[in-house]
Amino acid sequence: MSMLRRAFASGSARYIAGRVGQAALQLFGVVTIVFVVLRLSGDPARLLVPQQATAEDIARIRTQLGLDASIWEQYLQYLSKLPRFDFGYSYVQGRSAVDLISERLPYTINLALAALLLSMLVGIPVGMASAYFRRRFLGRALMPFVLIGQSMPAFWLGLLLILFFSVRLRWLPSTGFDGLTSLILPAITLASLSMATLARITRSSFLEQLNADYVRTARSRGAGTARVLMGHVLRNSAIPIVTLLGLEIAALLGGAVITETIFAWPGIGQLTVQAIQARDFPVVQAIVIFVAIIYIGVNLLTDMLYAVIDPRVRLAGSGEQV
Amino acid sequence: MSKNSARRRSATALALAPILALLAGCSMGSSGSSNSTDGNGGSAGGAQQTLTIDSPDYPSTLDPGLQYDGSTYPVYRNIYDQLLRRDPDSLEPVAWIATSWEQSSPTTWQFKLRDDVKFSDGSALTARDAAFSLNRILDKDLGSPQFANFSAVKQASAPEDHLLVVETKAPSATLLSYLTTLSIVSETYAKKVGKAGLNEKPMGSGAYTLESTRAGSEVTLARRDTYWGKKPSISKVIFRAVPNLATRVADLQSGRAQLVTTLAADQANQLKSSTANKVLAVPTERVAYLGLNVLGNTPTKDLKVRQAVAAAINYESLIKNLVGGYAKPVGAVLTPLAFGYPGKAANFAYDPAKAKALLAETGNPNPVLNFPASPAYNAQLLQAIQSDLEAVGFKVNITNTDQATYLKKVQSPAHDWGSIRFGRWSCSCLDADGVIYPLFHTGTVWSSYSNKDFDKAVEAGRTNIDPAVRKDAYNTAFSILNRDLPGIGLYQESAIYGASKDLQWKPDAVESLYVDEMTLGGKG
Repeated sequence: MSMLRRAFASGSARYIAGRVGQAALQLFGVVTIVFVVLRLSGDPARLLVPQQATAEDIARIRTQLGLDASIWEQYLQYLSKLPRFDFGYSYVQGRSAVDLISERLPYTINLALAALLLSMLVGIPVGMASAYFRRRFLGRALMPFVLIGQSMPAFWLGLLLILFFSVRLRWLPSTGFDGLTSLILPAITLASLSMATLARITRSSFLEQLNADYVRTARSRGAGTARVLMGHVLRNSAIPIVTLLGLEIAALLGGAVITETIFAWPGIGQLTVQAIQARDFPVVQAIVIFVAIIYIGVNLLTDMLYAVIDPRVRLAGSGEQV
Repeated sequence: MSKNSARRRSATALALAPILALLAGCSMGSSGSSNSTDGNGGSAGGAQQTLTIDSPDYPSTLDPGLQYDGSTYPVYRNIYDQLLRRDPDSLEPVAWIATSWEQSSPTTWQFKLRDDVKFSDGSALTARDAAFSLNRILDKDLGSPQFANFSAVKQASAPEDHLLVVETKAPSATLLSYLTTLSIVSETYAKKVGKAGLNEKPMGSGAYTLESTRAGSEVTLARRDTYWGKKPSISKVIFRAVPNLATRVADLQSGRAQLVTTLAADQANQLKSSTANKVLAVPTERVAYLGLNVLGNTPTKDLKVRQAVAAAINYESLIKNLVGGYAKPVGAVLTPLAFGYPGKAANFAYDPAKAKALLAETGNPNPVLNFPASPAYNAQLLQAIQSDLEAVGFKVNITNTDQATYLKKVQSPAHDWGSIRFGRWSCSCLDADGVIYPLFHTGTVWSSYSNKDFDKAVEAGRTNIDPAVRKDAYNTAFSILNRDLPGIGLYQESAIYGASKDLQWKPDAVESLYVDEMTLGGKG
């Protein structure tokens, strides 16, 4: 922790306090925008009633949901409840929005981490190998696969995997939860894009570093290939990789709408789609705020992590001259 | 700061990821209250017969007094008993919890209830529970979306243990129809656990009881050994939410599910060649129609334009090519299954030459029709209608918005929503009253049409009990509709299911999914 402590002492604390303030402001903006935009986009009461409902039936449901009050009243009431983490109750299910999110969250975290792990375990070594062996067959052969991974849409890849591994071979479950095997196909589908992106970023970052002077110096001092790559090049290539991983974590935790829909995975992504379709305002608002907190939080953490990985960032952040 | 410690930190960070993954795995495993761990739930013919049903959505609630939609009621109707059921063949309301009924006045109905029915907690089901279940939906504080189904009811009461009395505000011809959708909850239990409790731990008198739920993904029901009715052959049923159509089919093909709902014609045709699976399709009471704006400032306020629209559409081609033959032609905005289907149906026929001639007579051979739509409707179908209309000279602008915005637009009391719209209508009541009254009576949210004679006819149909009088009223109403064309019937939709060949079940027109009527492996 001493490095973080030093970073704070050297003026980064002010910087971080500023960033936290900025984050709070961003969050307030998100709350306001999502609140207003949702209320411009259609009437949930009309979606809740049977087709033969009369205008009075619709009005009754609107009153019941508190949608007959002016948008200002609704907004102020909503804001007043937020500090108590009261995001309201789902119009459709009648349950607290926070409960709905928290019961879906473990599924999303599980899938996100499996996908992230897979993309790191495959993406980074593939990127490193294709950079190191760039003039050999292996380096050239790997990149087309990366391109395929990057350009294959999830809905297509997911269905192909289901058709092959579930319908034809019957090795893996297509949907549902029967232990870890259920995680394999959705994780591969979700990871394919981040795997490929990670491989490309690692490759280009590595290529840049492989030609740097310090690599030659390390080699001349007798350092072995593994030590040069892992100890020097990987560490110096880490900034873009960490940036990308941060964004990927945020995106994955926000729910993978398409993958979750294809594999009937009951995570945040599927809940989002259902809530938006039903104009379930409290649930949509809670999800957007939750995802915003994750994005803002992860960005903040990534910025702080830069300071740990690369002292130059820390010094620049504190306003000191390098 | 030494390099070693920095390296250590990176290693820690990397090591943290799998640990987190493991933690998440644990929490996911324990978050579902599921204890349905008997494999894939698909082994048909075993001692324990488990049936897995894939539907597009997770049930909104298991409280039968609240939501009423196609992904919700098929689940809770297996947990609760209904006051009446429909005969699977004739579709007439038949005895279930109510064994007989009579009218003591035009607005008072008396139902005799079974005296051998027990809820799964062992308490007896009485008329008080039935009256409570109905009054609860009518209670404005509950805000039940089902209110509209029972709005004709004034109140329900239980003068005796097994005698239910239902009073209506005016004579109601559709009461029995709607009572087939009334699930009976225990008054004592409902008051004890409240709305949230009824959703989380439903307790009914039906053939099945809730075993477990996994939020957003599956509901498992287990057979009740103490059920009053015939013992169902399927011991356990898992309702799973699988939103993607192709995945539902894959689940069926891989044996994970034995019944999948809401298929489209393409998937049905794909299953037809399968040796292990079959397609079950049944014409439903849902009618696909075009609504025409007669009251707004749009070309369709001219009868000749509406007649031209009716003649421009190639109905046969829509049925054959766009819905793959899983539909039947209709001669009204109603299906022949419903009471009140006109004896003299309209002849909606494709006649492009007539359409062109009619437009020529209006003086404007190329009127512009605005066609609001939403992704809830098959886009190819709407484009086919657009292309048919453009072939005779119309200029058709389809504007797509999401369903909520679409509804707000087409239900605008200013009738400024456009010229034509596509719709699919089902009232779960099998009666003209639930279709043409809300669609075309003056002043209803859907109606962009007004005709006093029509209003009088559908009002007579609504408030008379005598079937002959009602039949006459609807014949009059349809003769007016088919003359004025505020709506054009396109076809009667079919419900398409994919099922394992092991499953013996006959789907019905009102899309019930009573598991007690299903058997696996033909063992009865």
